[in-house]
Amino acid sequence: MMKKNTDVLIIGAGLSGLMAAAKAADSGKKVLLVAKGMGALGLSSGCIDLWGYSLDHPEEICQDPVQEIIKMVAAQKDHPYAKVWDVLEESLSFFQQICSQNGLAYEVAEKGNWLLPTALGTVRPTYLAPAGMAARELPRAKNILVMGFQGLKDFYPEVLTTNLKNNMNLPADCQLTTLMLDLGKIELSPNNLAYLLEKDEVLQRLVSQIKPHLAEEMVILMPPVLGERGHTKVLLNLVESLGVQVYEVTNIPPSLPGQRLQQALLHHLKKQSVEIILGCTVIGTTVLGEHCTEVLAEGSGKNLTIAAKSIILATGSFLGGGMEAQPGKVIETVFHLPIKVLDEKWSAKEFLSLEGHPFSKFGIEVNNHLQPVNSQGEVVIKNIRVIGANLAGANYPIEKCGNGVALATGYKAGKLVGEV
Amino acid sequence: MTQGDRVALDNCIKCSICVSHCPVARVTDKFAGPKQNGPDLERFRLEEPAAVHPSIGYCSNCKTCDVVCPSGVSISVMNCKAKGEYVSLHGAPLRDKLLCRVEMMGKMSRLAPSLVNVLGGIKPLRILGEMVMGVSSKMTLPQYAPKTFLQLYKPQSLANCKGKVLYYPGCYVNYNNPEVGLALVKVLNHHNIEVMVDQFECCGLPIIANGFLDVAKGHAERNIQKLKKYAAEGYQIITTCPSCNLTLGRDYHELFDLDTSEYSVMDAFEYLDQLLEQGELKTDFCNVSLKLGYHQPCHLKAAGSGVPSLAILQRIPGLQVQDLDAGCCGLSGSYGFKKEKYPISQEIGQNITRAVQEMAVDQVITECGMCQLQIFHLTHQEVIHPIQILARAYKL
Repeated sequence: MMKKNTDVLIIGAGLSGLMAAAKAADSGKKVLLVAKGMGALGLSSGCIDLWGYSLDHPEEICQDPVQEIIKMVAAQKDHPYAKVWDVLEESLSFFQQICSQNGLAYEVAEKGNWLLPTALGTVRPTYLAPAGMAARELPRAKNILVMGFQGLKDFYPEVLTTNLKNNMNLPADCQLTTLMLDLGKIELSPNNLAYLLEKDEVLQRLVSQIKPHLAEEMVILMPPVLGERGHTKVLLNLVESLGVQVYEVTNIPPSLPGQRLQQALLHHLKKQSVEIILGCTVIGTTVLGEHCTEVLAEGSGKNLTIAAKSIILATGSFLGGGMEAQPGKVIETVFHLPIKVLDEKWSAKEFLSLEGHPFSKFGIEVNNHLQPVNSQGEVVIKNIRVIGANLAGANYPIEKCGNGVALATGYKAGKLVGEV
Repeated sequence: MTQGDRVALDNCIKCSICVSHCPVARVTDKFAGPKQNGPDLERFRLEEPAAVHPSIGYCSNCKTCDVVCPSGVSISVMNCKAKGEYVSLHGAPLRDKLLCRVEMMGKMSRLAPSLVNVLGGIKPLRILGEMVMGVSSKMTLPQYAPKTFLQLYKPQSLANCKGKVLYYPGCYVNYNNPEVGLALVKVLNHHNIEVMVDQFECCGLPIIANGFLDVAKGHAERNIQKLKKYAAEGYQIITTCPSCNLTLGRDYHELFDLDTSEYSVMDAFEYLDQLLEQGELKTDFCNVSLKLGYHQPCHLKAAGSGVPSLAILQRIPGLQVQDLDAGCCGLSGSYGFKKEKYPISQEIGQNITRAVQEMAVDQVITECGMCQLQIFHLTHQEVIHPIQILARAYKL
């Protein structure tokens, strides 16, 4: 059987796993990352949400998410942020730094959260936005032109404009118009379209279709398809040709901004000589005393044993396959670590309840070093760190903190194993 | 539909991760993508085999879909079987029947390898070949070596034998690029490891990829018999070709349900990595001052071994190896030689051209012979196998 030996083994290729790998490699460790498949980061919006709404007035978008988190962790000691607030700002700057080194700039708003339009015309509070989404001029725009593409599913300009009028504080005289662009395709996938737009001649066809509709102080909103990679080149070419600001809006998966972020981080890891094996599932573990000495992984019809000094668990929650629900109990699939399950009902009666569902908070409890603990607070396995959606205590869909928690916990785990 | 089929299909949660990573669907709308051709249409095909869609012919069998699927769905198996079903229902052009027989072409070229190479370079002949047969006149043809690997290979008697391997060279190393096999033999003999070779058949991958599953199954059955015999005699089976590795090690079982449990296959560098782990890899490296770009073949990714050459090449003084990280090269064996698929294959390969330019590397290395050919075609730079670099570092 094949054997591998490494300083740090990371299980999972989502945002938390990639961040942990980046920070551990940055500390000079030999890092191996294995994952069942390509992580769900490619399905995400590509924005980094830290905290969405006010603690005191849950219906209001919070102005300063960092302050809100500091206020929140004082009260909620079991929230994942309570374990990592000390490195939150440093993790964000590390993230911005490695992204920009790999051609993907992220921007912060003038104050606190960005309010960015979604494809449905709702407003999304988010902390870090890719430069191509950071629509600074939008609240002051006199003219907003929303463009879609013939053949591209899941983006309808009229839906966006109709809802945006109600959801965003736009100037009273702001004109919203729509335009369908035609590349002569009956069906377009976002990836195929992004690939086509990397070609200058295709982009120029768009420019000639858009030009007759330009107006004074116009802002153009488009689906997130402007280029496959760091996207800056396609976007800048378009802005230069049109002479107005153009922004992408967030859309449902599969959408490019999440994929671009995933690509940039994977690219960074490869440059740092991190070895990555996808299609590889951890199916067994050897735990001696309080240490996991090696794991058994299966992939492509063969087995692999991996010995590691430190292991970082980043397998995600129910959707990622890191946790499985069975009648009456929830199990963590790799190490069978203790899961904190709330005693009352697992789900709320109302599907879209504003309080969210209790099952979102299920997960593994950890100490301040992100080591898994049991209900008595004792460390279960010392050389494991648990990060991202594996952690107990966060209500991601309601709090809008998923990527923020993933980023900060991943960073901290990578930093801690770098010191081992 | 069996319960097993149902479970396999229900594992697909329609997340579209496979579609967003499919190199073919990215550049053309002729391929409906792995999800639609795979699990979506499989529901219909299991009830009615004739429901197979012609778009399946555009699947290049790179197996990226399997690698990226977070739900463990064997998409490429569904697609390979569907292609087989399509070919058995509708037949295949003569071109596909010939192109997939790389072993037969290798044997025929033995009559006069240099003449074959010369003929392959005559433009009017190539244009005729495109018009009559549908073989792209633009794609660089692989060159045949004056002597095959099996002819050139000389068994060494080793005084202090530390291990024994059976080397499966594969058609490309045997007929086109024997230097790779010879470099491997030198490196292993340098470690006092005995190398055994034998007459094997083509692993069958090109035949599978062109949809002739029954023919390929025959190759599989006969190869398995031999592989089992060597494994029982204590030989570790190794390859230098990731596609042969994947076919012998995984496809025989997944596609044909044949028992492959009595032998295991390793990439040559996986074997060397084991020596490294055991502290038995020699480190008498000389300085190799090169900045290399490494291309990871899709089938090596799919074999789930990571980058086996990474740990060893990192130990060679002076050598810098950077991952090109440019995805599929686009050739996919016979795929890129077909007239209608050549443009798709070249479009996919543009990421490689760009990465090689941006990184300004001295040379590109990659394990797969077909990837080597495509990268040479795209960049006009010689591309070699990592084992050749290792042999150079040992001054062999």
